[in-house]
Amino acid sequence: MPVVELSLSRLQKLIGKNTNKKQILDSLPFLGLDIESLGRNIVRVEYSPNRPDYSTDFGIALGLQGILGISKGMLRLNIRKKGNYEIKADSSTSKIRPFVTGIIARNGSLDDEAVKQIINMQEDLHFGLGRKRKKSSIGIHDLDRISFPLKYTTTSRDHRFVPLNSTKEISISEILRDSEVGRDYGSILGQSAKVPIITDAKGQTISFPPIINAALTTVTTKTKNILVEVTGIDKQSAEDMLSVVVTILQGAGFQFSQLKVSGSKNSTPNFAPRSIVFDTDPVNKILGLNISGSILVSCLKKCRLDASVKGKKIQCTIPRYRFDIFGGMDIVEEVALGYGIDNLKPAWPASVHIGEKNATSEKLDSISRLMTGFGFMETLNSTLTSEQILYEMTNRDSSQIISVTSSKSQEHTILRDSILPGLLENLSKNIHETYPQKFFESGIVFSKDSPIKETTSLACVTASEETNFSEIKAVLQSLLRIGFNIKCETKTLSKHTLFSQGRVAEIVANKKTVGYIGELDSKVLENFRIRTKVVGFEIKLSGLIFD
Amino acid sequence: MSHVLHDIEKQIIKLLQSTPNLTEEQLSQTTTLSMDQIRRGVEWLRQKDLANVTDTTNLSYGLGKNGLDALKNGLPERRLVNLVKDGPKTFDEIRSSLQGLDLNASIAHAKKNDWINIEKTDTGSKILLKGNVQHPSANPEEHVISVIGADPDGKCSLVGATSMSSINSLMERPDFIIKHEEKTKTVSLSETGKNIDLEKLDSEAIDVEADVPHVHAARIHPLKDTINEIRETFVHLGFTEINGNLSQSSFWNFDALFTPQDHPARELQDTFYLKGLNAKQLATPTQIKNVSNAHKKGWRYYWDIQEARKMVLRTHTTCVTIKHLADKKPDEARIFSLGRVFRNEKLSFKHLAEFNQVEGIVVGKHITLRDLMGIQKEFYRKIGLTKVKFWPTFFPYTEPSLQSMVYNEKLGKWIELFGMGIFRPEVTKPLGITKPVLAWGGGIERIAMLKFGLDDVREFYNNNLSWLRTATKCQ
Repeated sequence: MPVVELSLSRLQKLIGKNTNKKQILDSLPFLGLDIESLGRNIVRVEYSPNRPDYSTDFGIALGLQGILGISKGMLRLNIRKKGNYEIKADSSTSKIRPFVTGIIARNGSLDDEAVKQIINMQEDLHFGLGRKRKKSSIGIHDLDRISFPLKYTTTSRDHRFVPLNSTKEISISEILRDSEVGRDYGSILGQSAKVPIITDAKGQTISFPPIINAALTTVTTKTKNILVEVTGIDKQSAEDMLSVVVTILQGAGFQFSQLKVSGSKNSTPNFAPRSIVFDTDPVNKILGLNISGSILVSCLKKCRLDASVKGKKIQCTIPRYRFDIFGGMDIVEEVALGYGIDNLKPAWPASVHIGEKNATSEKLDSISRLMTGFGFMETLNSTLTSEQILYEMTNRDSSQIISVTSSKSQEHTILRDSILPGLLENLSKNIHETYPQKFFESGIVFSKDSPIKETTSLACVTASEETNFSEIKAVLQSLLRIGFNIKCETKTLSKHTLFSQGRVAEIVANKKTVGYIGELDSKVLENFRIRTKVVGFEIKLSGLIFD
Repeated sequence: MSHVLHDIEKQIIKLLQSTPNLTEEQLSQTTTLSMDQIRRGVEWLRQKDLANVTDTTNLSYGLGKNGLDALKNGLPERRLVNLVKDGPKTFDEIRSSLQGLDLNASIAHAKKNDWINIEKTDTGSKILLKGNVQHPSANPEEHVISVIGADPDGKCSLVGATSMSSINSLMERPDFIIKHEEKTKTVSLSETGKNIDLEKLDSEAIDVEADVPHVHAARIHPLKDTINEIRETFVHLGFTEINGNLSQSSFWNFDALFTPQDHPARELQDTFYLKGLNAKQLATPTQIKNVSNAHKKGWRYYWDIQEARKMVLRTHTTCVTIKHLADKKPDEARIFSLGRVFRNEKLSFKHLAEFNQVEGIVVGKHITLRDLMGIQKEFYRKIGLTKVKFWPTFFPYTEPSLQSMVYNEKLGKWIELFGMGIFRPEVTKPLGITKPVLAWGGGIERIAMLKFGLDDVREFYNNNLSWLRTATKCQ
């Protein structure tokens, strides 16, 4: 989950009404914000990816005002239609990044902390909603350096301009090759010869989306007026993103003017709120409450939505930036949050359900009890293991190996097809402990099928100087007889890589080979640095004692 | 006062009553008890004030490599003197005769003994015997070497002031003398001990207060204990267990749960995909069509069935429960699924790539969010966690979503445990599930860590025998 760093004193100012720090800290979890760490004035909170408006203190202050009852209902948004702010998309963009949208924000001021918060928001939007800038991405510019109308068009890769944080004019190919952002996000543009670009009326390049802005329009703490542009491959997601930025800038005190968008499939963004009408009964029913329409309305208002009672129904108005609200169940959650999760009292439902364990679990339990009765200690190993343990140290055949892609850990790269190697690894890790050592493990093993088959197996080992084949065969025989009334035989096997020649047998039950038993091969034991004698067996339980 | 004595103690007392002071080694040799048994017996007797133990350190000396050489051929300075006793010799002459010897050291020691002079002549420096001495008599160091060398064990406990200074000076030279330090415990009886009449002791009584060694029980793995306890608790709460495969198609792990195909959770860096494996049979044609439509409508993109075929190691048990619900469409149900799940995580004290998860599902016409909170509170009470509260949170496929916080007395803080929520209609509707579905669950290792007081989750899978043998079972 993403994290945002907040200054408590700044939050106090943004919320107003002399809110104290304790009220803030107590309320944060009830907005769904987890406190990750807390300093004297700095608090780091985790927020949910579906609420990018909580990526800044402006958005969080808005939420806290609601839940604390300081300021309720939807924030009104005024956008001046006057002005000659315009951007036109060229049809050449339709093949590479078809959509552009934006807004003009004026008369605001951004201090260092506000700039930090807005950068955090931008990164969050790029990562989540923008799918690492692929779906949509934002550029924020100093409005006073730009001449309108703007043009969203494409250019060749040798086009040159001065990119952000640079003083030198360089080509787009160079940006993609030499800069970190270029290398990270250049692949979004693929091999296309033409790349998207925004230019102003004087022909100056102001942005090369989704990679980098031009140095010309750099935003500083002196910037009063800004242009926000969002480009992308999905119109709705671009406008979703823009609506979050607008809400945050509104919190930072900006006023807005429309940016007219035209050309190709583009149009001027619409920030009008939506309405959902719903019955009060189902909401009460699912929450287990019985609250009146007017209380329901007040709950929604605490979540910064607007609502009014319409007979037995409620009309809820949802601001543009709350695109996480899909339908009825999302409204239920808003009601629950407004009502206060700590006001919901746990209830105990009347039930006639009789619980039952799965038959496989029951049988595995019996096996565990019997094996511990025979003196074996249970171990637990990962089913996702390493080639080294499963094949290299045991000299086993690895032709049917099943591996996972891009594992972050060398110990977890392939699925086990046998349990015994893991038990040898367990013995190897315990060579300094007293002997005899006896281990068993039951669990899933994998084999290739169409596409893959999972079966449950049991394996056990005894390590001690005095142990021998008869001892382990006695365990096998008694386990199957006492546990499941199954008779088994051990048939001479000429060769098995894990076991010593002449001291290995296959286990036959119900006329089928179900496993192997024997004395472990000394070379294999040497690989695991085990210096005692080891005997053991592995047996497939699936098909023998359960399906 | 009557004493209850262990047989070991009786044997030691009997011996010490006839031979007052013995070392532990001597006790062991005479009684034929092992050193371990003697040490235990002596310790018991000491605690009962029947015996006293004195620690002594015995010093002895042996000859090192150079010492043995000196025993055979004489000390280097003696060999030098022997060479020049028939007349002065140059350094080179001496060097060629004194093979392998440190000439400088020989000269230094011979000079210190006042045996030689060095004279400068036209043909270079020569060494000659000092004054009229024809054959210097043996000095104390040579004496020490011969005394130690005469000891048949190669060890000698020399005492006396003259010897000590010679020993010390030889000790400063490399490899001449080796010092052995031997610590021994000498055991003697206390007055009470001496007066015990072994014949009169009650021979039937045994020392029931004596320490005994530990025995190791074979046992169920501690994590499995917690898993079993949780399974039992779900059953007590009326839930029936269902099982499913660890390997799943992306369809059931992600698509059926309304997770868009370009969602970050589906990337290689979070999820283990099985190399080259694709599911042949995904679901019923209706299920596939409806899920595909839900994605197109909700997320506005081209839903690719090939992407849904990719096999993954399940990232949660929800893929098992959702498939069960989609296939059975129950009106009323309490089911649960428990087992291993996988995340492509860097391993750390709090993250594993493979761990256990449990998930309970309640389906019912009249079931409410407050009911789910109540079931969960009861679950925690049954496993011994009594202080519980709920906070809102976010899960991609439930709405509303809550997380439960449990107070841990030992740590003195609230800990996040299970999550819960109501399945989104975008998940249930396409699969033909019409009744509300409430789900709750989470990782099991976290609870087991609290129970066994571990702060590193990897400990569960280390299978460290010393921990498995001693971890306290009932906590």
